Amino acid sequence: MKKLVTIILCLTMLSTTVLGLTGCGITEDNKTTENQTTETGETTEAGENNEAGEIKIDTSKKIKIGVLVSDATTAEALAFRNYYTNYIGKQYNVEFIYSDEIVDAAGEKSAIDTFITNNCKAIISFSSFDRSSQIEQTSSAKVYYAVATGTLTDDEYEKYKTYEYYVGAIGPSLEEEYKAGFDMANYYLEQGKTNFAIFGGAVPYYTEMHIYRVAGMLEAMVKAGGEGANYLGATDKAGIIGQIYTDGGVATGNIGSINILGYVGGYDMDEAWFAKGAQMAQTPNLDVILAVGNGSDFFGTAISGTEVKIGSVDAYATSFGEAMEAGMLDYLAGKFSASIGPIFIATYSAVNGYPIRTEEGNALALSQGYWIATSYDEFTKYYEIDSSIEKPAYAKAALDTLIGSDYNEFTSFVSKFSFEEIQEITQ
Amino acid sequence: MGCCLLRKLNEITSLCNQKGDRMNKNNMNIIKRIVGTGFIPLGTLSIILIICLLNGVTLFETGGNWLAYYRAAASTLLITYALSINLNSGRFDFSIGSIALLSSVMSATLSMKTGLPTEVFLVLSVTFGVVLGMVSGIVYVIVKLPPIIVSLGVALFFEGLAFTITGGYGVSFVANKELTSFPSVTNYLLIIAISVIIIIFIFDYTKFGYDYKALLSGQKVAVNTGIQENSNAILCYGIAGGLMGIVGFISATNTGTIQMALNFGSIGAMFSAFLPMFIGGYIGKFCNVKIGYLIGALSTALLSLAFARLNVDSSVQQIITALTLVLFLIYLNNQKKLAELFKLKK
Repeated sequence: MKKLVTIILCLTMLSTTVLGLTGCGITEDNKTTENQTTETGETTEAGENNEAGEIKIDTSKKIKIGVLVSDATTAEALAFRNYYTNYIGKQYNVEFIYSDEIVDAAGEKSAIDTFITNNCKAIISFSSFDRSSQIEQTSSAKVYYAVATGTLTDDEYEKYKTYEYYVGAIGPSLEEEYKAGFDMANYYLEQGKTNFAIFGGAVPYYTEMHIYRVAGMLEAMVKAGGEGANYLGATDKAGIIGQIYTDGGVATGNIGSINILGYVGGYDMDEAWFAKGAQMAQTPNLDVILAVGNGSDFFGTAISGTEVKIGSVDAYATSFGEAMEAGMLDYLAGKFSASIGPIFIATYSAVNGYPIRTEEGNALALSQGYWIATSYDEFTKYYEIDSSIEKPAYAKAALDTLIGSDYNEFTSFVSKFSFEEIQEITQ
Repeated sequence: MGCCLLRKLNEITSLCNQKGDRMNKNNMNIIKRIVGTGFIPLGTLSIILIICLLNGVTLFETGGNWLAYYRAAASTLLITYALSINLNSGRFDFSIGSIALLSSVMSATLSMKTGLPTEVFLVLSVTFGVVLGMVSGIVYVIVKLPPIIVSLGVALFFEGLAFTITGGYGVSFVANKELTSFPSVTNYLLIIAISVIIIIFIFDYTKFGYDYKALLSGQKVAVNTGIQENSNAILCYGIAGGLMGIVGFISATNTGTIQMALNFGSIGAMFSAFLPMFIGGYIGKFCNVKIGYLIGALSTALLSLAFARLNVDSSVQQIITALTLVLFLIYLNNQKKLAELFKLKK
């Protein structure tokens, strides 16, 4: 009798368990479109599709996203951080965990390990010492990975585009960097300026984006320099880029009728470097300093009281506004802080079970450009939006439309990056 | 390995200075003293001028070149003094760069917000520098940990504080004509002259200076005679801090901006002082060691200007500077052997 009772009890418990599990399964099947399993074995529930087909993501649970940074102190880096931590984080209930200022590939690896240990569901990277290793490491840990304000090389993209956990990259492509340099030089060439100096920033360290910006400037000069104008024999983009890679810098001299009177590269910040900078800025007959990065902070005082102008490719920060107001800086191609909104959404969407991929199922590889200000009024207009954490350029309402969107919709949104286009989209 | 290197550097510095002090300068032939004092700067100048000539470059072509030279000389001299004050006593201070950063951030922010003139900006920088230096000294005295460790902690703290004060954006007053009006050859020369006079006065003609020297030559004995080693150390940190306050001021007024540094980014400033400090220590055999530091700074500034005028790549600059430093240290460490070698040949 005792044995029979035990058997009945066991059967009852078993049936209850099976029925319970089946019931749960049915509910989950109805509710969930896709589940994601993290390295720790935790299951992240995907969002819901309501009857109208709109995607609704449960934001009650905080999601952790790691952010790899190799620069924590420039205006650009601070503006990006401000947008993520003070706006995006609050709107989407996301905790952004920032790395320390990374200085090498080993630092990237270590920081990613820390993020994984901290149960980060995704990593957004602003650090580019070894992108391949970053992708491999995050993929093997099944943590989503995305590149912000940058792109992979063509070879890297070909290799990693099919990786499930590689979300993609959105940022100025090298073409866009080239165009930024070209447009800036052209702006002054069209005004009839002929005597230039170039600040090459990280060109001596072979940083691609700076090399491409300088190459763009030089090609604009070749085109404006008249017949036979060339840069050390190079007349086209490929030749100029190759020459910069060979030299690790820019040679001074003539490009047809255009003169490069001075060049300074690097960020040594020692006495010799500042002396070089002042020497370049005070070269007789100089018209313009074209800077691949922050020009006015480094050379502003050296040109004070002269007619020399500075053009910079950087970000929107108050110091640039002051320099523009004082007439030192009169061209700024700046990354806008909200430009990192779409890559966040792509990552967030993937974490919640709605990966945004190309039609072939590949990762994103999209380019964005700069906002260009050529007057203090223009700067003020852009800065007001760019620095706002109440109404940033890409606010939640606009970004929400991208969650789970198809590739064409997403691409169309990202490609409209000019100030006016964004205003149009968001209104 | 790093610690061993630092210890070795410390030993060489002390040895160098002690040798300079011990030598009976009064008995030395005046010509020998002049030659000994002028050999390195004149030798450096001659070599640089020849290189410039061969490259078709005039070393001092414009007013801007003179300005750059004296600015480099003033900054290097002040950093050398600041570093040597504690290093000669066996205290390796990594926080001096962060003191320059934080004191200039505080004084510039205050000056910009209240519209203070440049002179007040300078006074504030020095004052904040002294206070921050003394804070560093007090921490060292209280925690009684090796100064290298304490100064690294203090450097991180000050860097973080500067970052927090400015929200990470640094300070920019590029367009502020008043605060950027300081750079001029006369002003830099005044700073050099005043700092040399004050440092010589403090360390050679005051009770504090005598106590400092007594502690330098034998700490235990000095303490037994009643010298307060802790207060002397705190004052040393305070003076070094004040000097670094001026360095921060010079740097800020030069560009009109103060860039932030994190994760020991401010430490680099002190390394620019090693070469002039060793040169100064060597020249100290022939004259007052503080004058030796001045000559070391003037020689190093010549090198900096030459790098700029000859457009030398930063990687090449680093190699040249490192080689010069290493060769000089090898020479200092083997002076006796070299002298014996020459005697044998004779």
